Amino acid sequence: MNNVLSSILSWEFVAAGIRVTTPILLAALGALVAELAGTPNIALEGTMLFSAFVGVIISGFTHSLWLSVIGALITGIIMSTILAYFSLKLKTDIIMAAIALNIFASGGTIYALYLLTGDKGSSASLKSLVLPSIDIPILKDIPILGDILSGHHILTYIAIILVFLIQYMLYRTPLGLRIRSVGESPDAARSVGISVFKTQYTALIISGMLASLGGIFLSMGYVEWFARDMTSGRGFIALAAQALGGTSAYGVALGSLLFGFSEALSFSLQFLNIPYEVTQSMPFIITVGALAFYAWNKAKNKKNRDI
Amino acid sequence: MKRYEIYRTAIAIGIALFLGYILILVTVYPEGSMVFAEKMKIAFKEANESFKTFLLSPILKERRGEWIFNLRGFIQWINESVPIIITGLAVSLIFTAKHFNIGAEGQLFLGAAIATGAAIYFPSIPIITPIVVILLASLVGAGWSAIPGYLKSKWNASEVVTSLMLNYVALYMGLFIIKTFLRDPNAGQLVSLKFSDSATLFLLNSRYRWHSGILIALALSFALWFVMKKTTWGYKVRLIGNNKHFAYYSGINTQKTFFQVHLLSGAIAGTAGIIELLGYYGRFVWLYSPGYGWDGIIIATLARNNPIYVPIAALFLSYIRVGAKTMGRYTNIPPEMVSILQATIILLVTAEAFLSQMRQRAIEKEARSTEEAIAGGDANE
Repeated sequence: MNNVLSSILSWEFVAAGIRVTTPILLAALGALVAELAGTPNIALEGTMLFSAFVGVIISGFTHSLWLSVIGALITGIIMSTILAYFSLKLKTDIIMAAIALNIFASGGTIYALYLLTGDKGSSASLKSLVLPSIDIPILKDIPILGDILSGHHILTYIAIILVFLIQYMLYRTPLGLRIRSVGESPDAARSVGISVFKTQYTALIISGMLASLGGIFLSMGYVEWFARDMTSGRGFIALAAQALGGTSAYGVALGSLLFGFSEALSFSLQFLNIPYEVTQSMPFIITVGALAFYAWNKAKNKKNRDI
Repeated sequence: MKRYEIYRTAIAIGIALFLGYILILVTVYPEGSMVFAEKMKIAFKEANESFKTFLLSPILKERRGEWIFNLRGFIQWINESVPIIITGLAVSLIFTAKHFNIGAEGQLFLGAAIATGAAIYFPSIPIITPIVVILLASLVGAGWSAIPGYLKSKWNASEVVTSLMLNYVALYMGLFIIKTFLRDPNAGQLVSLKFSDSATLFLLNSRYRWHSGILIALALSFALWFVMKKTTWGYKVRLIGNNKHFAYYSGINTQKTFFQVHLLSGAIAGTAGIIELLGYYGRFVWLYSPGYGWDGIIIATLARNNPIYVPIAALFLSYIRVGAKTMGRYTNIPPEMVSILQATIILLVTAEAFLSQMRQRAIEKEARSTEEAIAGGDANE
């Protein structure tokens, strides 16, 4: 028991939790923007995977961090553009198009990995770079507080800033208003002169870029290589985190933290003989419960209004 | 299937295969300091060889310059199609009602894990035991699918997200059950104890373990086709899928039917995993989700949700997979190439608006000209 407590109450545990949360949070913010625009982005998984791949490949061949980040972001934009083109223009069901993109990413990255490195499993043979962690001056010297706040990965800080930026964008800017109104009722939005296509396309692009950042955190933050299917469902977990967190970026951040920390917790709780399967499935069960409660509440209110 | 849909599917498959050839060509393109034309010549020659293996290996193999029937490849092809036919049926049913329960993956995994218990411990009675085991799996699948189904039909909670979440819960629960209660301590990796002998399926060919799952899968396709096209219930489901408001106002209890669709779809999906395990492996062997639920979505799409086309679509998919795997054994071309072809096919087949918009416009134009011809000047009013 003491083992568990001391491992949970350690800074390493908090740091691990934050580390695991970061990619989920980035993708979950992407899920939020797309969801609010009425175009749920199930392709986050594939987008993350492909961006993780492109980031590593570019950094391996050019040794330039900037180029790899830009390359990954462009990958996200391309994936979103394909999704948007098929779903908005060719009227493919967006879920089907996204499933196709996920399948494409899963096999396509392995195929391209083999072409470029001769290896089908991972890019370990490639010398690639890692995005840096950042020590915040002054703050890092303060005891305790410095341990918590300083020394994280640069994308972790970016993710935190993005939580506020996305919340501001969604609820304080004309673009956010357009996104939400299109998501709420495309016909009403169209009737006041909003271009539904442009708005949803923009939302999907933002969503894809956020997922890209989440993807490169996996291959250039966690580790310094790409491995096949290395996202292992984080894009879907991000959807869960979004579903749990509702329509505000703060809620989504909390939802992501729940998933991140439960994953970190699952390692600590093994001391207590709590199987990791139980801790791992808890957030999903909570998500389903929360969605059920939310839907029940909504249905109940609607009924009351009808009477 | 309407004629232009057949064309579209054929075009999609054609484009995908062409893409496959290009991918092979890129992979075999030689390195070194030859002239470009020389390199291309070698690349084309090798690509043609590999492409031939890819296209033919599930039924034919080359021995001393002659092409002979490849029994092993054929059986592998048929066996691999079994679980994806079944999930394809489950998904096509739910998609017919325009619902997107994508939980087939979890339903088949959890169904297989729990039914594994029965396959090991249920008393050995020939014929009865496999039936009991499969029914148990289907019950679990139905129960698992009932959760998103209930939440959707009762409170309108998005079944896409809930079924996706439940896939993970099913994965972890299934692994937990196998690890804790059914693990074979003598095996090197995490697998269940062996199934009892009477639980396994009848073999059509024991050398390459061709099991009777294909017969079950085909029977299920026919049964589902019958239900969908020949019964009132099937008609209701199709009506709901076409226009749920119309269905509602014509007196169909849409919520109840939705729930039933979820139950039946889950029951079908639940059996997909255990049938493969009973037939081929003889024990639970999966450490992660086998992905058949996702394949089911591809197949349902290709088959336009029609149960009678599902086996064809599944046989096509497993054909190119077995072909790619065999090619991968003889060459360096990664079999994962197939997923690029699969994605292309899904995108092209589901992008119906493109062709149908053109078709629509042609029809409208024709209708307008006929209308004008009939009504004369009055049409301008």
